[in-house]
Amino acid sequence: MPSATVAPSPVHASHPAPSGRRPRKAPAQRITNNVTGYAFLIGAVLCFALFSWYPMVRGVVMSFQRTRRGVTTWVGWDNYERIFQDPSFWTAWKNTAYFTVLALVLGYAVPFVVAIIFNELRHARGYLRVLVYLPVMLPPASALFLFKYYAYDPSEAGLFNAILKFLHLPTSQWMQSTSMAVPAMVLASTWMNMGGAVLIYLAALQNIPGSLYEAAELDGAGLFKRIRHVTIPQTKLILSLMAMLQVVATMQLFIEPLILANGAGTQDSATSVAYLIYQHGFFQNDLNGAAALGVIMLVVLGGFSAAYVRLSSKQD
Amino acid sequence: MSVTQYRRVAALAAVAGLGLALAACSTKGDDSSSSGDKVTITVDCMPVGSQKELLKDWNADVEAFQKLNPNITIKSVSVGAQCNNPPDFTARLAGGTVTDVFYAYMTDLQQVLDSGQAMEITQYATKDQIPTWDSISKEAKAAFSEGDKLYGIPTKNYSMGLLYNKNLFTQAGLDPKNPPKTWEEVREAAKKISALGNGIAGYSDYSAGNTGGWHFTAELFSQGGQVVTADGKKADFNNDLGKKVLQNLKDMRYTDKSMGEKQLLQWADLLTNAGAGKVGMFVGAPDATTAIVTQFQGKYQDWAMAPMPGQGGPAKGTLGGGEGYFFKKGLSKAQVEAGLKWLAYEKLTVGKGQFDYVRAKPENNPVGLPQPQLFIPGSDAFKADNDLKVANANVTVDDFALFANNPVPIKFEPANAQAIYAILDSAMSAILTNPNASVDDELKKAEDKVNQALAAAAK
Amino acid sequence: MTTRELGPRTLLSHTQLTRGKGPAIYWTLLIAIVVIFTLAFIGPLYWMVTSALKTGQEVAQTPPTLFPANPDPQNYVDAWNNLTLGKLLFNTIYYAGGALLFQLVLDTAAAYALSKLRPIFGNVVLGAMLATLMIPAMVLIVPQYLTAIDLPILHISLLDSPFAIWLPAVANAFNIFLLKRFFDSVPQDLIYAGIVDGAGPLRILWSIILPISRPILGVVSIFAVTAVWKDFLWPKLVEPSPETRTISVGIYAFAGGTPQNVVIAAAVIAAIPTVIFFLIFQRSIMAGLTTGAVKE
Repeated sequence: MPSATVAPSPVHASHPAPSGRRPRKAPAQRITNNVTGYAFLIGAVLCFALFSWYPMVRGVVMSFQRTRRGVTTWVGWDNYERIFQDPSFWTAWKNTAYFTVLALVLGYAVPFVVAIIFNELRHARGYLRVLVYLPVMLPPASALFLFKYYAYDPSEAGLFNAILKFLHLPTSQWMQSTSMAVPAMVLASTWMNMGGAVLIYLAALQNIPGSLYEAAELDGAGLFKRIRHVTIPQTKLILSLMAMLQVVATMQLFIEPLILANGAGTQDSATSVAYLIYQHGFFQNDLNGAAALGVIMLVVLGGFSAAYVRLSSKQD
Repeated sequence: MSVTQYRRVAALAAVAGLGLALAACSTKGDDSSSSGDKVTITVDCMPVGSQKELLKDWNADVEAFQKLNPNITIKSVSVGAQCNNPPDFTARLAGGTVTDVFYAYMTDLQQVLDSGQAMEITQYATKDQIPTWDSISKEAKAAFSEGDKLYGIPTKNYSMGLLYNKNLFTQAGLDPKNPPKTWEEVREAAKKISALGNGIAGYSDYSAGNTGGWHFTAELFSQGGQVVTADGKKADFNNDLGKKVLQNLKDMRYTDKSMGEKQLLQWADLLTNAGAGKVGMFVGAPDATTAIVTQFQGKYQDWAMAPMPGQGGPAKGTLGGGEGYFFKKGLSKAQVEAGLKWLAYEKLTVGKGQFDYVRAKPENNPVGLPQPQLFIPGSDAFKADNDLKVANANVTVDDFALFANNPVPIKFEPANAQAIYAILDSAMSAILTNPNASVDDELKKAEDKVNQALAAAAK
Repeated sequence: MTTRELGPRTLLSHTQLTRGKGPAIYWTLLIAIVVIFTLAFIGPLYWMVTSALKTGQEVAQTPPTLFPANPDPQNYVDAWNNLTLGKLLFNTIYYAGGALLFQLVLDTAAAYALSKLRPIFGNVVLGAMLATLMIPAMVLIVPQYLTAIDLPILHISLLDSPFAIWLPAVANAFNIFLLKRFFDSVPQDLIYAGIVDGAGPLRILWSIILPISRPILGVVSIFAVTAVWKDFLWPKLVEPSPETRTISVGIYAFAGGTPQNVVIAAAVIAAIPTVIFFLIFQRSIMAGLTTGAVKE
């Protein structure tokens, strides 16, 4: 590497300049400051207002309404009752939770381990980095059709089944099986998306000062101790941020069931909350029910993020 | 309020309403309002690029039509090979982005009316605009009507039967002239065909994308059942007839293993396999062969069609459906009339548009299929159409004779059909992909869900 | 191996890699890793390219063939002719480029305001933005869609307009957060120096902050482009016409009426331009993503 100084990376940025250092200003100055401040903010704020904040409110309102033949009426908790009575609702949550857990193991831990290994390699690192990032460049539909038509073909002509058979292992029905549908989706989704996570972890790893490892080594720390006491603490911020983003992202599980299972799969074994929203909104012509589902998801995620914030602030 | 007062208010309201309607149209350009001027309408369901011949024909028809009616401009929009893919269609309705004259299935009436996007066209749909109007099947018109109000123009109808691959029949030692008449015989034939190996399914069926529910319904009709009760309020398939439907499939799928491993099929998947010669039999309408030939690299010489099988005897009913066009709310009179003229030209004139057999014959589009049969048997239009068809047939009419000559009573699809089909998909997929799935449980689950959906729709 | 080759110190020390059995283990592992990853990541792509050259019969064969028996490019020809792939690719690039531009301008400005100008209630605004991080797009898909087809007050529809993708893309709290964190780390003294020189806020942003923020701008750009590239349901809903579709949505719609081999051929063709683009620019993309920032 050429002599280069490494500037603070996004994730390791130093703490914001303490505001106390700012010189006190006259009131008139402060007003102009606020005006320019908002002038810079206004574009993004408007976009947030239109496409995030307002839809959130509108979603809540819609979930208590019903629109037919252009007439909207208030229906109280009707939409929620309907959603809660739907057996698919609980299956969808179960699948989404299962997917999230598996994706945390596969989609979160695997890229981290891969990044640690890549970071230790002194050769072929560039090649491997390009390799894992390649699927990220494919249109998601392309990658998923590849899995659907070939890898997960349930007959013996299927690629995965041919490999399993070659190894004298039992073959699988993949997306048609109630037990394999979710793992199969996690596998496809990890293959498609892990490149980004690997690169972000690599960035974080490369910012760990080598002297920390040397010091740990002098203290007699073995390989795994060094990972535990140096690598993980040094990348904690990015790890916890990625964990949260990962959970939010897995909640979006949609295109995988849509393409791989042509919908909800066997006995709803591939359905997800996101897919259910789509199904209510656009298959069953029930936009209000879909909005109610969205609100339920919002509440669950709200609870999750509150827990996350509490946990992460406790650790600090 | 006296009668005269009332009348005046009504007139005012009408004027105001008209004003609003005109205002709504004015966004579409100033060429659409008054008579004699130029009229532009948008029409969807133009064939897609992969349907080369059909697209060429459509474009030629648009050009010819515009020459005949120089004041009308047709703007064609393509919305996919399957013109009504339920989620996209719902999004178009919710978003108000349907074209002026828009394609829909006969089953969509309720959803279209609920969305508030369609206008009533009762007073416009006459012999003046559509010369063959009085010869068109009453049932088909009824599918686009609520009470005595007409909302759409039927352009195609079908009823289902058993499509089978003659080649595979011969290879399996079955007689292509003597296809199965009952579900029991279907099962036996499927066993023999799938014994050919090579990934061939003796019988194939749908279980995703609403098509599973659609076929469940068709097979239930063949048993003499119905999906919802006559008053439309309750599900009516969790009974012996419904169980027979699923049990037949379960036996073929898992006891005989004659349906192939690949399931969760929707429209294109099954037809891809059929086009590749991997499907012995499936339930479908005559025009499924058109799709197999024009889109899925198949040959129509391979296919023949028999009436719908029944349980232990002829089918007690077969599913009838079809398609047509609605008119978007707020169109001007001139636009509606232009739309009707176009539909008359492209879809409802003997020897023109979809009935132009002289043109279709050399294009490798099957001619001589028994359907669509929109014209009332015995009417002049019926006879003229039939004569042309026979004269230009390129399919062996005999291959469809069993189907055409043994009509099964037609049953139409229930209201809210697509929502019900979405639910029944899961019963079909469970039976076809999980050997441990229980017929009784799946029917019960689907029944509960359909009852809920119907209750919600009735509110 | 020389120390120079070994680069900076990582988890394993140079001595561990160079002494005793170290090199043997290292090389065995390296080769194993290269082989496994090549199989896992190039293998499927190879399968995709060659399968689209097979006939429908051959694809269904058991066991599957490794090489197509009679390679036939017909599927590729059909896919190219029937899918208007060029148009779809152009659309996707157009949407991604516009989203990038909008985000670079509006999100950078917002992050700058939140980091350096700190107007009153700025933290509330930031909090409200960050809160959306926890909300997957799916939660809001229905009300968002209804908003896009009938904007409040203006009552215009963004359907089939590129703005339906560009504007929601700006509401990206993660990118604003990344930018703000980075701007936070720009020394306040530099800014005071600018103020002393009489520079206004815009000038400070343009001439002081942005030049040293190039790395983070690169990262944000990559995120902005991949987000549009990978999105599916939103473009499916708001760009429904065949003329305005994105590539992913186009392939999905195409699959609804096409034999599988042709679909896969289309998927291969659709992947080619981006993979080539990526291979050409991979150095800068990787540098942007991995080193985070290397300044001369």
